[in-house]
Amino acid sequence: MREDIINTKNQAFSEITEASDTAELENIRVTYLGRQGKINSLTKEIKNLNASEKGAAGKIINEAKETIEKLLATQKNKLKQTGSEWFDPTIPGEKPKAGQLHPTTIVINEMFEIFKHLGFSLMEGPEIETDVYNFEKLNLPKDHPARSLQDVLYIKEPDILLRSHTSSVETRALGELKPPFRIVVAGKCYRFESVNASNNAMFYQFQGVALQKGLSMADLKGTLYYFVKSFFGEKRKIRFRCKYYPEVEPGGGLDLDCPFCNQKGCSVCKGRGWLEMLGCGMIHPNILKNMGHNPKEISGFAFGMGLDRIVMDKFKIKDIRSLYNGDIIYK
Amino acid sequence: MRIPLNWLSEYVKLPKDRGELTDKLTMAGHMLDKADEVNGNIVIDLELRGNRADCYSILGIAREVSALFRIPVKYPAVHPKLKENKGSNTTLKIETPLVRRVMMVEINDIRITDSPDWLKEKLIAYGLESINNIVDLTNFVMLETGEPMHAFDLDKIGTGLEIRLARGGEKMTTFLNKTLVLTSEDLVWANKTDILSVAGAICGKNHSVSGETKNILLEAASYDRANIRKSIHNHNLFTDAGIRHEKDLDPNLVENAVYRFLYLVEKNNWGKINSSVYDYYPKLVKPLKISLIFERLIALSGFSVDKEEIKEILKWLNFEISKKDSQGMELIVPAYRTDVVLEEDVIEEVLRIQSYDKIPEQILSLEIPKLVTPSYINQELAYKAHLSAIGFDEAISSAFIKENYLKYNKPLGGVGMEPVRVENPPSPDAHELRINLFANLLEYTQKVINERGVEVLFFEIGKTYSKKESKYSESRKLGLIYWAKDENNFKKFKGFLDGFFAKANISQVRYVNLGRDLDLINSYQILIDKLPVGIGGQFGNIYYAEIDLDGVLGKEQKQVARLWPKYPPQIEDITLQFPSRTMIGDIINEMAKIKFISDIKLAETYKDSHTFRIWYQDPDKTLTDKEVEAVRNKILEVIKRKFGGTVKD
Repeated sequence: MREDIINTKNQAFSEITEASDTAELENIRVTYLGRQGKINSLTKEIKNLNASEKGAAGKIINEAKETIEKLLATQKNKLKQTGSEWFDPTIPGEKPKAGQLHPTTIVINEMFEIFKHLGFSLMEGPEIETDVYNFEKLNLPKDHPARSLQDVLYIKEPDILLRSHTSSVETRALGELKPPFRIVVAGKCYRFESVNASNNAMFYQFQGVALQKGLSMADLKGTLYYFVKSFFGEKRKIRFRCKYYPEVEPGGGLDLDCPFCNQKGCSVCKGRGWLEMLGCGMIHPNILKNMGHNPKEISGFAFGMGLDRIVMDKFKIKDIRSLYNGDIIYK
Repeated sequence: MRIPLNWLSEYVKLPKDRGELTDKLTMAGHMLDKADEVNGNIVIDLELRGNRADCYSILGIAREVSALFRIPVKYPAVHPKLKENKGSNTTLKIETPLVRRVMMVEINDIRITDSPDWLKEKLIAYGLESINNIVDLTNFVMLETGEPMHAFDLDKIGTGLEIRLARGGEKMTTFLNKTLVLTSEDLVWANKTDILSVAGAICGKNHSVSGETKNILLEAASYDRANIRKSIHNHNLFTDAGIRHEKDLDPNLVENAVYRFLYLVEKNNWGKINSSVYDYYPKLVKPLKISLIFERLIALSGFSVDKEEIKEILKWLNFEISKKDSQGMELIVPAYRTDVVLEEDVIEEVLRIQSYDKIPEQILSLEIPKLVTPSYINQELAYKAHLSAIGFDEAISSAFIKENYLKYNKPLGGVGMEPVRVENPPSPDAHELRINLFANLLEYTQKVINERGVEVLFFEIGKTYSKKESKYSESRKLGLIYWAKDENNFKKFKGFLDGFFAKANISQVRYVNLGRDLDLINSYQILIDKLPVGIGGQFGNIYYAEIDLDGVLGKEQKQVARLWPKYPPQIEDITLQFPSRTMIGDIINEMAKIKFISDIKLAETYKDSHTFRIWYQDPDKTLTDKEVEAVRNKILEVIKRKFGGTVKD
């Protein structure tokens, strides 16, 4: 009898220590300590013993029972600690509210970061502008053919208007900052547009200006390629071509391969295979003169691009109106 | 401009590969927009830029192809020059300086027929209808040379022919049957009684060539482009003639065009050309001379271009070299290149014909300029990061207020300010600029509420626009708006404001009750260093605050790292009672001034009793019970004296 009890205890010990989850432990508990369990059946056998043996057997059985209970508890805790306990990682969490930035801000911040690497500072200027800074000093005197007659929003015609491009900040910077300087500007601009999915009276432009003795078209091209490759990716194809803008001479345009059709031609690129991305060039000598610089002694470059289409492409937004009318869901 | 390739090939031999042709044209400034086929002929459509008046013609593009591929241009034949008819100058009166040149010639016994196929095909490929041989020929010569021209019916033009500014209110019916009411800025051709045409833009219905015409007066002219531009924009006359005349056309083209027209009339036997021409050309336009310094070209382009190559490029562009030395050369610009007036223009010519592909990409290697980013831009960037960190989403709203939200477009706390309006609004929703950030954020919030959202946390950093007397100004603002379906209360919103100011390292923020400001109830002023920097309040159950960013700029404290104190605090709760309407913030501010109090929190409020949790702590040693008691007594003394507060028993 005594041997039976000790064997049962040892058997339980090895089973318990080898158990790998609580379900198994529960089975073991039932096997040994349950009503029909081994310990109970041993207890029932006590009545068949001699009176002299009864007391000792009862004591040993009790000891065995306590030992098994302890072992079970210890092993259960051990299993919990090692993480083998059944656990559901798919349960929904309680998410703290994390705020999101507007897509346009995200794009502007990314562009700012790239240009900061190239020694550019950030700049802004007024949106309620004068004709002088928006046009006149930008080599766009009254009656200039590149001055569109109808697309400016006037606050007080003809002198006070809402800036129609961020080039007005270029004029101000050329007048106020001491060269050498490099600046980038991101801001709201306004035009007379009937609002639809691709046009808005308010839109964002991104502009860069650098003024420094010795700047050349090669510097401009290097700067733009660095930016385009950093922002749009190394693999994009770039076309850098001659293009007239009254604010620059020589002037250029930078196009990117159309990613929607792999340059096969689609409605986005109007069958051209290329998307016009930005306009650029060396700051026109007339502008330098207007702002008090000698074009024979110092040179500069400037570039500008519309931001909204870039934001829309990046964030898969189809309608320009949803950018600035509260339609965006932040989650 | 649409360029039928078989037409173009009459003047210059084209490369076999069409892609090579359009690629080079694109790189040189004339982007291929699209290509199509008309009756089996390829037509390329080039996006021309407004500076190149000379390129709005087949010959202009032929010259570009010639320069790019170094193939000579075959210029078309022209009629020998006729003698000038000085005597008949009286037939056309010109007193305005807006006319730069006019040539006229009479052609009698005109034979009006259908156009021959070669003529029809070219016009149709370009996109014009064929009318009759004479009208078609004027169009053909315009497309070929770039100079618009017009044929009047000589027997209908009457007497007293003149070019003058219209008298305001004069009318003309165009050949398209549209009646124009002219202004005193419109330049017109007129006779004694009628307006014959709007100069450079469109002709009238009653005086032009028709099927019955026997004799014609052909005219080609050059005008002040700015004047023409105004007329064509004002009257929406973007005709083939109009879009050419609004650009800087070379007056010498007038002559080329007239003699080309006469040549073709004679060749086809369509009429009898008068022996003399009328030529009004008061101020002869001479070709411009420009000096090009090689060093300057290299400096501006950023790479070395071979001198012989420069000469070769310019020669193919028809620039004449009038002087040269080792430093540079003097160039005579071809008269039709009205866009080339500066040395930089010549440099662009060299670069674009070489192709911008030749320009190396140079990473800015010059001295790095000083950083000049103004602190307010860094402030905005930092605040955007802070606000998103405390859970606010960024809204960017329109600078305009939609028509149905205009009632909220009022200045918050501003005196004498009014909203700025656009004089020529494209729509009622783009008429009035925002004078606060509230109206748009309210609209956005209500949208979320309607979409069954459960919480709104929006911020916007942007400008507001205002007018005071006749001065316009822009202010940079931060707007914060908050609403929640559950647990919506001011304490929560205030917590966000506190969180924002803490992130921005701004302390000493005070809130003073205002009562009511415009649409906001329970409104308050936000002050820093006793100066007002913002306004907040409640709209229904929506909480809003607007902070003036310039007011806050520079108020932030230097960030200092704080370490855990070495000596433990004693913490206790004290429950105090105050007379009603006592400002709790003021009490906490007052208590915080007492020495050895390291922190105070409002733990609980029940009616007029408030339980404060107070941290007693000395950074240099552990406070004894006796010392704590002294501090506690100080608190009770101050509270009683300043606020009439007592300990609740």
